[in-house]
Amino acid sequence: MLREAFPCLHQQVNGKPLVYLDNAATAMRPQVVIDAVSDYYCHHNANIHRGVHCLSGRATDLYEQARGSLARLINAPSPDNLIFVRGCTEGVNLVAQTFVRERLQPGDEILISHLEHHSNIVPWQILCQQTGAKLKVIPMNDRGELVLDELDTLMNERTKFMSVIHVSNALGTINPVKELIAKAHAKDIPVMIDGAQATPHLKVDVQELDCDFYTVSGHKMYGPTGSGVLYGKATHLDAMPPYHGGGEMISKVTFEASTYNKVPAKFEAGTPNIAGGIGLGAAAEFMMDVGIDAIAAREDVLRNYTEQALTSVQGLRILGQAKHKSPVFSFLIDGIHPHDIGTIIDHYGVAIRTGHHCTMPIFQYFDVPGSCRASLAFYNTEQEVDILVESLNQAKAMFT
Amino acid sequence: MSDLNKLYKQQVLEHNKNPRNYGEPDHWTHHAEGLNAICGDQVHVYLTIENGVIISAHFAGDSCAISMASASMMTELVTGKTTFETLHLFASFKQLMSAEGLPDADHVLGSVACLESVKKFPSRIKSALLCWYALNAAIYGQPTATTE
Repeated sequence: MLREAFPCLHQQVNGKPLVYLDNAATAMRPQVVIDAVSDYYCHHNANIHRGVHCLSGRATDLYEQARGSLARLINAPSPDNLIFVRGCTEGVNLVAQTFVRERLQPGDEILISHLEHHSNIVPWQILCQQTGAKLKVIPMNDRGELVLDELDTLMNERTKFMSVIHVSNALGTINPVKELIAKAHAKDIPVMIDGAQATPHLKVDVQELDCDFYTVSGHKMYGPTGSGVLYGKATHLDAMPPYHGGGEMISKVTFEASTYNKVPAKFEAGTPNIAGGIGLGAAAEFMMDVGIDAIAAREDVLRNYTEQALTSVQGLRILGQAKHKSPVFSFLIDGIHPHDIGTIIDHYGVAIRTGHHCTMPIFQYFDVPGSCRASLAFYNTEQEVDILVESLNQAKAMFT
Repeated sequence: MSDLNKLYKQQVLEHNKNPRNYGEPDHWTHHAEGLNAICGDQVHVYLTIENGVIISAHFAGDSCAISMASASMMTELVTGKTTFETLHLFASFKQLMSAEGLPDADHVLGSVACLESVKKFPSRIKSALLCWYALNAAIYGQPTATTE
């Protein structure tokens, strides 16, 4: 049973078995990931790419093997297309400052969507302040789906870049990114996809998508916190200036000038999160061993079950009912503030997220301050969904 | 009684359901907004202060039950008090919510002391405190307050 692979799931909270439904905030890690991190520190601890000694060689091999595992997971042409980053936030900021910034003139436009996480809004607002560019937004409808009717206007000769979330962390909407990329490319607009919530649930093929950049968050896909990768097309990465200056990203330094290392080292200044990268590689291997299709199929079953179960709760309203969804449910219950629901069901061992989920514009659209969010992973069970529903009914009983 | 039932005790649920002094009054002299954006609590505090005495205290906003009940009880407690007394009550309530605790809380804070059970839920203390920080901001002429 795959659930057994995740040690943190097996505990009691407030005297009840833990029901962990906060996977969109951070997923649990399987033992193989924990072991990979521990194994590095216990047996191979050394800095990478710079020592002639045995441990440094082993650590370097493990780190680069991890890059290879990530490349296979998202079908990148080569491991050299991947830059290790701290997560999607760093990936977006890196692309904004090293790829997009030099392409912008005052009045140019950057296109995002209404479904973005703050991490795919704020870096672009900063860039707009720096350059005089404008931020444009693809609107959404009541179902939490993007409205593509006005794309021809939104993608115009001033549009210099588009960055769109693949799967909404707040509503679960799976966006039609392949279609968006094709439309953008028809107008020579490069595209970045924020894949934080996609790689844990879906088969991602960056070559099939033909995106220019794709960000992966490690801790959302069963890897360590503070780990992630940024995929970029080789021609872009070669042409981009470095993001951070420092060690490792240079080939020669004098006081007069420095020359930069080749990709991906050019973007990896300083000693990286070595253990995190190795652990993320183990997470990618774990997912490929389980099978992304098997994960997606199991989560489809769970999503349908959860949707029906939540619908049975009177006075419960699900926000976001997109046709294509991952197993994420934002919901409200009449007369009970989300924060109270979160506290009460925690008493029954159920962990959900409450608030705006770093997507304030989505909740401004729905004119509510936030929601409860239950986000599932393949290791959740139908029984856990039943406990969620029972605990929600307990919360309702308390407030009536 | 479980900790959860102590948190959502009858007084809290009752004040949440039927908040006292709720809604923006026609006349007020002092106002501040308390906003905890991350958890979604928002409390507007409206005061009418004459000669250093709070003649009336109202609140409005969309908040969790803990925040609503705290604000409702607070407006009852501070009505008729001087601003000086009110600032002392604010300090006492903060002490009640701290690890130190407040001796003789029932005597000092009246029914507001029943919120001591919130301390067992550290993530909710900021909900209980929000209205008090907004009250303090209103007295000092500051437009906003937060406890996040």
